[in-house]
Amino acid sequence: MRSNALHAIALAFFLIAVGASVFMIKAVRFGYPLQPGVTASVWTIEVFLDFMAKDEPARIDLHIPTTDAARDLAGEEFYNGSFGLNLTSDRATGNRKAVWAYRFPSNRKVLRYSAETRGETQSTRLPDWFAEPAPRATPFEADPVKRQAFIVWSASLRRRSADDATFADLMLREIFGGPGDRGEDADEQAVLLKELPAPLDRLELARETLAAQGLQARIANGVRLVEDVRRAETIHWLEYRVGGEDRRFFPGGAPSRFLTIWRGAEGLVSANGVSELDLQIAISSERSSAAALAQRAGAEAAPVSRLFSFGDLPLTTQLVYKTLVTIPVGIALLVFLRQFVGVQTLGTFMPVLIGIAFRETALLNGVILFSTLIALGLAVRFYLERLQLLLVPRLAVVLIFIVIAMAGITILMTDNNQAIGLSISLFPMVIITMTIERMSILWEEASAGEAIRQGLGSLVVASLAYLVMSNAHVEYLMYNFPELLFILMGICVLMGRYTGLRLSEVWRFRQLARA
Amino acid sequence: MLNAWRKLREKGVIGVNQRNLDFVAARNPRRLLHRVDDKVETKRLAEIAEIPNPELYGVIRDGRDARSLADLLDRADGCVIKPARGSQGKGILVIDGPLQGGWRLANGRRVRLDDVRHHVNSILSGMYSLGGQPDAAIIEYRVKFDPVFGRICFKGVPDIRVIVLKGVPAFAMLRLPTAESDGKANLHRGGVGVGVSVIDGTTRTGMQFDRPIRHHPDTGEALAGLAVPHWDDILQIAARAYDVSELGYLGVDIVLDREQGPLLLELNARPGLSIQIANQLGMRAHLRAIDALDVEYASADMRVRLARRAFEKSFGEKGLGDGADSGSAPDGARARPVLGVVEGGLAGAAA
Repeated sequence: MRSNALHAIALAFFLIAVGASVFMIKAVRFGYPLQPGVTASVWTIEVFLDFMAKDEPARIDLHIPTTDAARDLAGEEFYNGSFGLNLTSDRATGNRKAVWAYRFPSNRKVLRYSAETRGETQSTRLPDWFAEPAPRATPFEADPVKRQAFIVWSASLRRRSADDATFADLMLREIFGGPGDRGEDADEQAVLLKELPAPLDRLELARETLAAQGLQARIANGVRLVEDVRRAETIHWLEYRVGGEDRRFFPGGAPSRFLTIWRGAEGLVSANGVSELDLQIAISSERSSAAALAQRAGAEAAPVSRLFSFGDLPLTTQLVYKTLVTIPVGIALLVFLRQFVGVQTLGTFMPVLIGIAFRETALLNGVILFSTLIALGLAVRFYLERLQLLLVPRLAVVLIFIVIAMAGITILMTDNNQAIGLSISLFPMVIITMTIERMSILWEEASAGEAIRQGLGSLVVASLAYLVMSNAHVEYLMYNFPELLFILMGICVLMGRYTGLRLSEVWRFRQLARA
Repeated sequence: MLNAWRKLREKGVIGVNQRNLDFVAARNPRRLLHRVDDKVETKRLAEIAEIPNPELYGVIRDGRDARSLADLLDRADGCVIKPARGSQGKGILVIDGPLQGGWRLANGRRVRLDDVRHHVNSILSGMYSLGGQPDAAIIEYRVKFDPVFGRICFKGVPDIRVIVLKGVPAFAMLRLPTAESDGKANLHRGGVGVGVSVIDGTTRTGMQFDRPIRHHPDTGEALAGLAVPHWDDILQIAARAYDVSELGYLGVDIVLDREQGPLLLELNARPGLSIQIANQLGMRAHLRAIDALDVEYASADMRVRLARRAFEKSFGEKGLGDGADSGSAPDGARARPVLGVVEGGLAGAAA
């Protein structure tokens, strides 16, 4: 007996541990929101490439967004036409490229890439290796003139700053500020700028200056995430780390949300063998449930969250499970009410089934309907008692009467434009029939009071079960975190080993407690 | 409420959860339950072991048997019709004797053959059995009420419930019908439960509807201090019921017949917990004490002796009797003389 108890408790904790760990993985690691109705803007970014092919081998390299886990890139799609697609990635920079190639394309061609993202903000963390000190690099080794200019300028900056942070601030102000901010070394700066399109030239200078100080820095390129834009421009910024802090410097002012597409000073696209290349980046935003996005991103990231989700099922099946997974919550509540409180009900799980039926009718209508049908059915049942019928035929008569009564109520209510009439369809008549039978036997064998007491107990439990099962939070949590079923199972195992008194028994034996 | 909960825990009052888990599930293997759930089987086993029980007149298993119903019912002494797998006294029809082409019931109503046949058919279709399983109807000897309980009994037949753990009688209770319970001894219908000392069978405190009482609600007689006659035989029957049922936790129901003495009425694998209120005792400590005894090879006689000793050890010489002033009495002797039968008079008064 002791070992039974231990076994049961071990099993319960195992189940709870399994459920809780999967839950934590999903909630913490993949950021599944714990509240229903949390919506996040989801941006769809689409890159269109439109060009004329020249009947010669063509190759188009396009930077596509880097996939860092924190970025939650989901639903990547490529439209290749007749082109061959090859994805390459660069481990050092994290850049990814889509390489489209075709031997002899002709006419106008279109290539397309699209993905969904929640984007990044200023507070999105930079990779961990950014925290490590960078090797000091001395730029402009080859050119003594530039080298001299750089030394003069950086020495001047160092003189006028206290530490790395103030150095970086001052340097960025001098490079990107207006003419008044350029300071006394404007000539040196002008010499140092490379032949790159603005603002990449200045960003590159800033990066080199920081690198010479042994600070991690890199140029990042991407797009602003704003409401729908047909042609988004790429923006460029500097990511660096100073004083233990991740920073981003946006020359044109910081956007609230953005998406990093690639890093480095290269262009977004490079093409060979085509002409009239037109590149268009379209951004559209859509408010969608954050859970759905987490699910989409998570499915790619980890098999565990895919295993514990209904996202891959057909939509109709998903809807069934949305209801189905809440039933165990009602069942667990029923177990608690029976084993700990001692509520008496007609039939074991009957109240939960009634509670499910209330989903169709809403609570008040359901209670009224249920009580009415039970009362009518009991009347018929007592009348049939006098006819002395056998059990099964008698049950059949009551059941048929219930269907007639339901039909009557529906017609009556629909005539009066009451919604109750229409919601009745799935009200479980077999359960009602069995309830009537049990109640009438109880009525005869015990007492009317006992029958009504248990009937009311069933109704209360059914209502509570309905309230719990139809709760938006519960439904949301159970549907998005089906692993909670293991926790419920564990709790039920634990409740199955409860040998203490029920609340009703404390009341029953209260006089013994006083003595 | 929490305070009461803690106090009851201290007193060792056990609830349904613990009864089901630690006693019923742990000691009553499912494969043996049919021995007590099916009264035909119980009677067969009792017959083999020569445990006295009400004589079986007939078993009706299907509609064809029901045709011979009239012959079975025609007895001057009456009979009892009950479902073989009934519980809590449901579906029991007590027939007093023939009356004007029909029969008179214990409650005075007259029934005709059609009524009885319908009742039997209800039993057969499983209306009173657990889970609505098809059932059989038993027709058996109607116990003749022993006048010994006349003053504390209203109509109907009182019975004695003994809780038996591993074959050792642990607790006992006398169940008395009242006007409220319609002549049935079932506690949940308003029957009175009176705690009985296992040592000598003297009655102690009483209860009705889970509330302690000192006097019978209908006759007004004090409940404590009576001696249940044939106490040795009753303990013997209780102990031997374990041998035939092999259930480690058993409720044994025994009736006292005027002519035949104690008879085994039925066995229960899930006896109720009201016996704790009737005795004003929590059961846990005493059940644990009996559980600690080694009784594997003990005979019924030995187990009865062990039961008395254990009860004394747990609750003192007089079993904590609430007014059990006359101490232990030999078999049949009464602590307080009980006179006459008041059944008829009170039945009339109640009607």
